[in-house]
Amino acid sequence: MSSALEQMTSSGSNAPEVIQGIKTETGKRVMGYFHPIVPEELIYAAGFHPARLYRWYFEEPITVGDSYIQTFLCSYVRSLWDQVLKGKYPYLSGAIIPRACEAVTFLYQTWKRHKPTPFVDYINVPWKRTENAVGFFAQELGRVGKDLGKFAEKEVTEDSLRNAIKVYNKNRELLKKICDLRKAEIPPVSGTEIFDVVMSGFIFDKEKHNELLEQLLTEISQRAQPSKPLARILVSGGCVIDRRVWEMIESTGVSIVVDDVNNGSRSFWYSVEDGAKEPLEALARAYIMVPSAFKTSIEDRFNYVSELISEYKVDGVIFAINRNCESEKFVYPELNKKVKGKTKVPTLNIETDYLVDMAPLRTRVEAFVETLKA
Amino acid sequence: MAEKKQRRERPAFNAEIAASIGKHYKDLQTNKPMAYALMAPDPLIEIAYAAGIQPAFPENYACICAARHASGGYCESAEAYDYSPDICSYCRNHFGYIYAPGEKPPMGGIGEPDLFLLPTVACTHYFKWWDALHEIFGKPLIFLNTPRAMEKEMPSYYLDYAMKEVEQAIADIEKVTGTKITNEKLSEAVRLSDEVTDYWQKILELNKTVPAPMNLSDLSNILFILIVLVGTQEGVDLIKKCYEETKQRVAEGKGILSKEEEKHRILWIDIPLWYRLGMLGYLENHGCVIPISDYTQYIWGTTRMDASKPVEGLARKALGGELNTSVDDQIDKMLKDIEEFHVDGVIALSNRSCRILSVGIPDATRIIREKFGIPTLVLDGDHTDERIFSEAEVMNRIDSFLEMLG
Repeated sequence: MSSALEQMTSSGSNAPEVIQGIKTETGKRVMGYFHPIVPEELIYAAGFHPARLYRWYFEEPITVGDSYIQTFLCSYVRSLWDQVLKGKYPYLSGAIIPRACEAVTFLYQTWKRHKPTPFVDYINVPWKRTENAVGFFAQELGRVGKDLGKFAEKEVTEDSLRNAIKVYNKNRELLKKICDLRKAEIPPVSGTEIFDVVMSGFIFDKEKHNELLEQLLTEISQRAQPSKPLARILVSGGCVIDRRVWEMIESTGVSIVVDDVNNGSRSFWYSVEDGAKEPLEALARAYIMVPSAFKTSIEDRFNYVSELISEYKVDGVIFAINRNCESEKFVYPELNKKVKGKTKVPTLNIETDYLVDMAPLRTRVEAFVETLKA
Repeated sequence: MAEKKQRRERPAFNAEIAASIGKHYKDLQTNKPMAYALMAPDPLIEIAYAAGIQPAFPENYACICAARHASGGYCESAEAYDYSPDICSYCRNHFGYIYAPGEKPPMGGIGEPDLFLLPTVACTHYFKWWDALHEIFGKPLIFLNTPRAMEKEMPSYYLDYAMKEVEQAIADIEKVTGTKITNEKLSEAVRLSDEVTDYWQKILELNKTVPAPMNLSDLSNILFILIVLVGTQEGVDLIKKCYEETKQRVAEGKGILSKEEEKHRILWIDIPLWYRLGMLGYLENHGCVIPISDYTQYIWGTTRMDASKPVEGLARKALGGELNTSVDDQIDKMLKDIEEFHVDGVIALSNRSCRILSVGIPDATRIIREKFGIPTLVLDGDHTDERIFSEAEVMNRIDSFLEMLG
C-alpha cells in the first residue's frame, strides 16, 4: 500500500484514470466545475462526483481549442477546452461554470453551443460581500441546485446539503491543519507537496480525501526533520496549476510556506456554518469570501495576503501570474505596492504560461532568493 | 490607404457633436463634483445627473487620445508603472495619462475625480480598473453590482437584486455628495434618457436604407450622446437633430455613397480602430459602407425605461445591452440584422484589448459564413494601442477581402 502522499501525488499525474475509476466503482456520474467560487457541496449533495475542471494532460499542445477561443485569452481555459474537444474527458456528464473573468464566463456559452456534455450550467457570483449580495447568491445557488436535481432526477434536499457541508468542512479543517504545520521554523512538508495534496482534493471523493489527509498527518509526524529553508515564500497568483512552477521555486532552496492562489488556500480557507438552518445561505455566506481576483477588492485581497504573511512569517512574495490573466494583472501593481509598502516584504513578479520554459524563470527566482538571503 | 482621398458630404450633425464633445471636456475642468464613470449601459449616469454630478469617461478619453495618436505613449507610460501590455488599452491609456499626462494632453486632459461610479454590467476589469484608481486617488467608490444575463430568460430575482443595488447606489451617492436625489429629479433624468433611446432606435432603423445615410464613424459619433449625455436635455436636443437630419437624408435618397456607388454593405464586429478611422474612407472608395456594427447597435440605447418607475427602469438598463448578455443572443441579433441591413460581408476585429466583445468572434463568423455564405474577415488588433497595428498586413488583408466581395 503506497503512502497517502504517494497516492495524492500520483493522482495528479493520472487524474483522468483516477476519476474514471471512481465513476466505475461508485456508479456516480461526474460533474465538472470551474473555479473555487463554485460550491462543490451542491454537486455532491445532488449525488454527483464533483471534479474540478483542469487540463489534466499537462504536456498536450493546444491544437484544436484555438479555433474557438483566441490566443490572447487564458491558456488554462484554452488548453482545457482543447482537451475537452479532443474527447479526453469522456467521463464528464456535465459542467458548472461561473461568471468570473471573461474567458471563464464565455466558456459556459462556448460549452453550451458545442455540447461536449449533456448538462451545463452557470452561476452568477456577486462581486460584493453585502447582505443583498448574500441573499442573491443564495437564490442563485438554489436555482443551480434545482437544475442539478432535475438532471440527477434526485432532489437536493436541505439534509443532503447539510451532510455535504459537514464532509467538506472536515476536508477544509484537515487541509488547514496540514497547512498550519508550515508555520514551524522548519516546515515538515514542502509547498510542492501541499500543491499535490490540494490538487488531489479536486480529483478524489471528499470522504476518501479526508481519510488520506488523516493518514498524511500521521505520516508527516513520523518524518525526519528536513533542513532549514533559505527563505519562507508566499506564492500569489490566479490558477498556478503547473506543478513545475512550485518545484522550480523550491528547487532554489526556499520553502513555499503558504499561497494565495485559486488552486490553493482560496479553495478551502473559509468554512461553511455547520448545521445551518438555511444551508444555501450558509454556502453563499462562505463562498462570497473566496478571494479570487476577479471579484475581490485590492483592500480585501491585501488583508488576506498580509494576514498570511504575518501568520506564516513570510520572507518574500512571488507573484506567479499567467500571461493572459487580466484579473490578476490588474490587481498586481497596486497590491504589490501595498505589500511592499505596508508589510515591508520583498516581492518578485514572474509571468507563467502553458508549457512555458522554466529556465528563465528559475534565473529570476534565484536572483530574488539571493537578495532575500542578503 | 495611400490613395487619393475623395471628399464626401458627411452628415452635418457630426460638427455639432464635435462641439458638444469640446464643451464636455471644458466642463470637466470646472464642474464639481466630478465622477469617473464607465462607457457601459450604465444606470449610474442618470443618477449622477439627477444628483448634479458631472460624469467623466476615461474610455471616451482613450478614444480621443487614440484618434490623436497619443495613446501609444500613454500605454507605454502605464507599462512602466507595471500595468501589463496584456490588459485593456483603454485602461493603460488612462493609467499612462494619470502618471505621465505630458504638457499638452488631448482636450486639456480629463481631470481628477471626486468620486468613482462603478457598474458591473460589462467587462470584468471595470471593477479592477476602478478599484485600482480608488487606491490611487483615495476617493469614494460607488459600486453597483448586477448579475450577467447568461440566458435570454433571466430569473426574476436578478431584477430584484439589481433594483436593490440601484437603491443602494442612490443612497450612497446622496451620502457622499450630501445631495438629496428626489423622485422627481430621478424620473426626469430617466425620462430624458429614454427619449434619447427612442431617437436612437429610430436612427438605427433609418440606416437600413440603401444607400446608408450614415457610416460607422457617424454612428460612433452619436454614441457620445448615448454614453455621456443620457439624462440631460442637451442630449435629447442633440440626438433629435441627428434623427431629423438622417430622416431628411433618407427622404432625399442621400447616402454616404450614392445608390450607384454603394456596392457592398459591411457588418463590423467589435470596436472600431480609433487611430485608423481613415480605413473607413478607403472602404468607401471601394464602394463599401458600414451601416451596422455590434458595437453601435446592441450595447447602448437598447432598453426602454418607464419614467414612472425609475429604479426598475435603471435596473433593467443595467441588465440589458450586449455587454451583459450572452454571445448566443448577440449572434442571433446579428443573423437577423445581416438580412435587414442587406449586409454582404463581415469584418471582425479580434481585439486583444476587448475580450468581452471578441470572445465570440470565431463562432460568430463561422455561423454567419455557414448561414449566408458571405465573406468574413477577422483582423487581429487593438482598438487603442496603435503600437501593435501593422498597416501593411491589415491593408493587404482588406484588399484580399475586397477582391472576395467582388
